[in-house]
Amino acid sequence: MFKATIDAYLLKDSIETLSVLVDEARFRISPEGIAVRAVDPANVAMVSFDLATDAFEDFSGDDCELGLDLSRVTDILAVADRDDKVHMELDEDAKKLMIQIGGFSYTLSLLDPSTIRAEPRIPQLELPAEIVLNGKDLQKAVKAAEKISDHMLLGVEGENFFMEAEGDTDRVKLTMSRDQLIDIKANDTRSLFSLDYLSDIIKPASKSNEVTLHLGKDFPIKINFSIANGAGTIGYLLAPRIESD
Amino acid sequence: MSKSLCIKCKGKGLCGRPLCPILEKFRSTENTTAAISTDGSIFGASPPAVFVGRYGYPQVTAGPMIPPQVDAKDAMMLEDPKQWLSMDIQDVISARCQLVRANTTINVKDAMKPDRLLERSQELALSRSPVDTEAWFTKPLQQKLKFDSVLTPMGPSGAVKDFDIAENPKVPKKVDYLAYDTDALAKDVVCELFRSDIPTEHITRLLSIGLLGQQRKLVPTRWAITATDDMAGKDIIDHVRDMPLVSEISVFSGGCFGNYFEIMLVPRVFSFELLEIWMKRSVWSGGSSWIGQDMEDINGKKGYSNLAGGYYAARIAALEYLEDAGRQASVFMIREITPEYWAPLGVWVVREAARNAMSSIPRTFETIEEALDDMATRVRTPAQEWKAKTKMLSDVRFQRTLDSFL
Repeated sequence: MFKATIDAYLLKDSIETLSVLVDEARFRISPEGIAVRAVDPANVAMVSFDLATDAFEDFSGDDCELGLDLSRVTDILAVADRDDKVHMELDEDAKKLMIQIGGFSYTLSLLDPSTIRAEPRIPQLELPAEIVLNGKDLQKAVKAAEKISDHMLLGVEGENFFMEAEGDTDRVKLTMSRDQLIDIKANDTRSLFSLDYLSDIIKPASKSNEVTLHLGKDFPIKINFSIANGAGTIGYLLAPRIESD
Repeated sequence: MSKSLCIKCKGKGLCGRPLCPILEKFRSTENTTAAISTDGSIFGASPPAVFVGRYGYPQVTAGPMIPPQVDAKDAMMLEDPKQWLSMDIQDVISARCQLVRANTTINVKDAMKPDRLLERSQELALSRSPVDTEAWFTKPLQQKLKFDSVLTPMGPSGAVKDFDIAENPKVPKKVDYLAYDTDALAKDVVCELFRSDIPTEHITRLLSIGLLGQQRKLVPTRWAITATDDMAGKDIIDHVRDMPLVSEISVFSGGCFGNYFEIMLVPRVFSFELLEIWMKRSVWSGGSSWIGQDMEDINGKKGYSNLAGGYYAARIAALEYLEDAGRQASVFMIREITPEYWAPLGVWVVREAARNAMSSIPRTFETIEEALDDMATRVRTPAQEWKAKTKMLSDVRFQRTLDSFL
């Protein structure tokens, strides 16, 4: 059983955090809320998504799994106003999700969860550096790097967080000191990441005032932030590139 | 006009000229060997073969291809690329030039309600083996050959007054049953035929003469060839994507008709990259060499490849191998076209050359660098000219995956 009401913009933002990596996802429903663990087809980036019942106007659910085609949900939400309420109810027998939104009633066919890629195993990593910054600043840095290169170096030098991109002919570097950041746990680290992935992940993260990065030396980066006043937490894990030569 | 335009266009007419000068050169230097009787009729065993033109779409010319005075035993090889592999280019051209095209002009939508002539072409297309056919023409035949990058060469053509099938076509069960299924989508039918080991040429023939799918239309042969490769390829990718990875880095090589392939499989999720190296004085390139690149990752290909039909034909060869092996891999291919490929024979050359390479005994390597060094010893063009063009390899070599941190 699953039945819930939520603000349209919150659901939209939630779906976006997943759709930057995957087209379809398994939504794990429990009395505590909704959880998704998904990895992109190339096994380079994964997302952990948790939305607690506090994020909903009302929520009741037993343990079950829903398979959703994310682009279908995005299409439906496109007609909704920001402040519309979305009411969702699972029809278990028909394997459909009934969605009411702004006067429309949709019946959305569910995907068989077993046809969607299984939940990934999550690597347990000890990442020595931690940086907390505004999502906007991170997005700016990524945009600047995109103009120069296909990948971007992120790291900590001394007390400073830095990002650097080097193309065939040009390079760009941004250094942020402790007072430009919200917080930093400084340990010298550096890892290189593909901007294909980073720029997608940064889109939903840029809406958050507080994004936490965990970095290591040639290790994956963790990018964490919250939505819905902390009722929803999103964590990305992105594998690094090896620096050539 | 830049020289590379000819390689990209391959006779499509991008330069704005009414006729392709390169193709015209072949037309004028070749003489057809077709034996045509003077009363304007021909009799012979169609391999079977049908042709649908693309000029004037949706009003196109379509009809059967008939080799005058050729019996069933000899006609078989005229539509079977497997048998051409042991021949040289000149012999393939002369063999194919025996095929006379008997055209009528027809709207593509008429495939749903065929007239008598189209109905017979459709009947012919269903057959697995040659069918005795007779055709009467309104005018004497034009002594003209047709060359193209995608199409196989063929002989003269003429407007047909009438034609008749002199025996019953032999139709494979699967083909019979799917051609009469008007509820199945063409895409699904093509994939099912491909899985039932119906030869690609037969599927293309059915698709182009308007015998597959719900909304049936004639499909110009040139388009149908690539559509078949693409649809069958996408279907295999859907299967391959869920398969375990190959166990090691391996390199395959081989080819035919001056189309030389070096193919590397890397244990990683499916992706595909093709580098095309047109050496100086190969068929489209003129006096300078040209290197083209296209690729797709696990999310698939959007839009039409800039390398045209050859991309899809090469891809299918690798996919067939992976599916048989029950594995997935990142596939990196080099297709080097040497001056031995002096006349365009059609996209089947790419398909068969790549299949030939995939059937070789692979060499295995510890690292991608070692594999590349090995490939470079057989590719005639120096490695520094093509290595820089690859995009996928840098990803494969430098991008790590999350499972390596478990």
